[in-house]
Amino acid sequence: MDGCCGPGYASPAEAIKAPKEKLLYTIAIYTGTGIQKPDYLATVDVDPQSPTYSKVIHRLEMPGIGDELHHMGWNACSSCHGDSNMSRKYLLVPGVRSNNIYVVDTASDPRAPKIHKVVDGSEIKKKTNLSGPHTVHCLGSEIIISFLGDARGEAPGGYLHLNKDFEIVGRWENSMGDIPFSYDFWYQPRHNVMVSSEWAAPNTFMPGFDLEEVGHLKYGRRLHVWDFKKKEPVQTMYLGEDGLIPLEVKFMHNPDSSHGFCGAALSANVIHFWKSKEGKWEWEKIIDVENEPHPDWPIPVPGVMSAILVSMDDKYLYINNWLHGDMRQYDISDPHKPKLTGQVWMGGLLGKAPEVNGVKIAGGPQMYQLSLDGKRMYVTTSLFSTWDNQFYPEIRKQGGAMIMIDCDVENGGMKINKDFIVDFGKEPNGPSRCHESRYPGGDCTSDIWL
Amino acid sequence: MTKITISNRNNSTFEVTGKKPLLNELRDLGVDLPYGCQYGGCITCAAKLINGEVDQRSQVALNNRQINDGYIILCVAKAKTDCTIEIGVESHDKLYRNPFLDPLETHELKADIASKKEEKK
Repeated sequence: MDGCCGPGYASPAEAIKAPKEKLLYTIAIYTGTGIQKPDYLATVDVDPQSPTYSKVIHRLEMPGIGDELHHMGWNACSSCHGDSNMSRKYLLVPGVRSNNIYVVDTASDPRAPKIHKVVDGSEIKKKTNLSGPHTVHCLGSEIIISFLGDARGEAPGGYLHLNKDFEIVGRWENSMGDIPFSYDFWYQPRHNVMVSSEWAAPNTFMPGFDLEEVGHLKYGRRLHVWDFKKKEPVQTMYLGEDGLIPLEVKFMHNPDSSHGFCGAALSANVIHFWKSKEGKWEWEKIIDVENEPHPDWPIPVPGVMSAILVSMDDKYLYINNWLHGDMRQYDISDPHKPKLTGQVWMGGLLGKAPEVNGVKIAGGPQMYQLSLDGKRMYVTTSLFSTWDNQFYPEIRKQGGAMIMIDCDVENGGMKINKDFIVDFGKEPNGPSRCHESRYPGGDCTSDIWL
Repeated sequence: MTKITISNRNNSTFEVTGKKPLLNELRDLGVDLPYGCQYGGCITCAAKLINGEVDQRSQVALNNRQINDGYIILCVAKAKTDCTIEIGVESHDKLYRNPFLDPLETHELKADIASKKEEKK
């Protein structure tokens, strides 16, 4: 991080030049696994020169059991690069099931982070009527977190606003309009826009996935365009069958770009959206992953594209197919016409890569994080405890794994790194499941430029 | 007071009031149980009711098949009679199913969208 200014980097181009990551943090869960231990934040050594490379070197346990840690985000990013009073010091780690938000101090000792503050889940419910926290973004020195439900777990939820001292300010949005569901969001301040997606109500997705509920409209199929300053939705993009369960939303990192993407998990499509010359938001389907036949299944297996990621130089889009077991890299130099440039396999139900670097993989590629220079991608295999238990029951005994992919940023291409694997099946308290990761100095999903 | 027998803990028994959810009552008596949302929405605390009767009207996590298979949501279920239950993931053999391999019948969906058949009794 710069010494002179606030957190992050002056631009995406500066971010790419940052020093290589040496540590990363990933959450690991015991919720839903049968092991009566708290979920924890694992510190993973990713410095190839270190004797503990490719190992968990610290585990920060949460105070109690049952949180289901999931996604996380920083207190500050490049959006307050100009503010020397701010620093990227605290990682906010919500528990989807408990509603608690753990504020973790990663700066005092980056190898051994500690809990700085707990925003109590019941207090959040009382003050804001929200539950089921998901995506954390900072905007300048403020923090907003999407919640998928009200205090009773019913959709559409809304947005929690915390100040820089992690005190509850209240609801961020002025209106949810007619939005039926919430999930992920990303904003692009120069276009005064935020785009949000739709998973389902907590009461629908938390117990597990009933496919029939998609037909009963219990899962989402829309994207929502927001007036970011007015904090209210202004346009709906109805994706229909092309966009069943639209999950992760990512804008290009270039703050002038209006192009963004969303992965529709069940349709296994990538939706590209952008602002037309007339100022209207348009969308199109640019990637369609076909369902694959399975020897034991009466119907073909959908990919389940649960995450997407854009490299810091906006050249590559990465997608996963959690049930198929592949990770893909697309060149999106022309965002209307992506070109497949890389593909690797790990786990999955199609039997293409049951073992990676000597570790049997339960689950498939699910969450991933990319280094600022775009060359090292760390992938984990668990999606959500109840959904894991449905599709990959063996994960209970085998736990999750973290795998590293070397990405060729010059010519395109992906290759599983032979020297790196973290087997969360061998954790001291028993098999745990790793999920989202963040790098202390920033990564490809942490920073937005004003 | 009612008596709760936990079949997969050597049939150990616990006296509960029936006034609070079983999760709270049993944890207060020292039983180590999984839980998550604590309002009946997330299934983490599901247990199997082998005998007896509970009031779990406020649960919203279970579909009708899971209810027919005997699952109860301990964070909201209150004991109405003496009960025998099986707890933890050992009781979850029928709780999770691959929805592509083993679809639900329309009457097996959650109560708010299930067809009539189920409600006859």
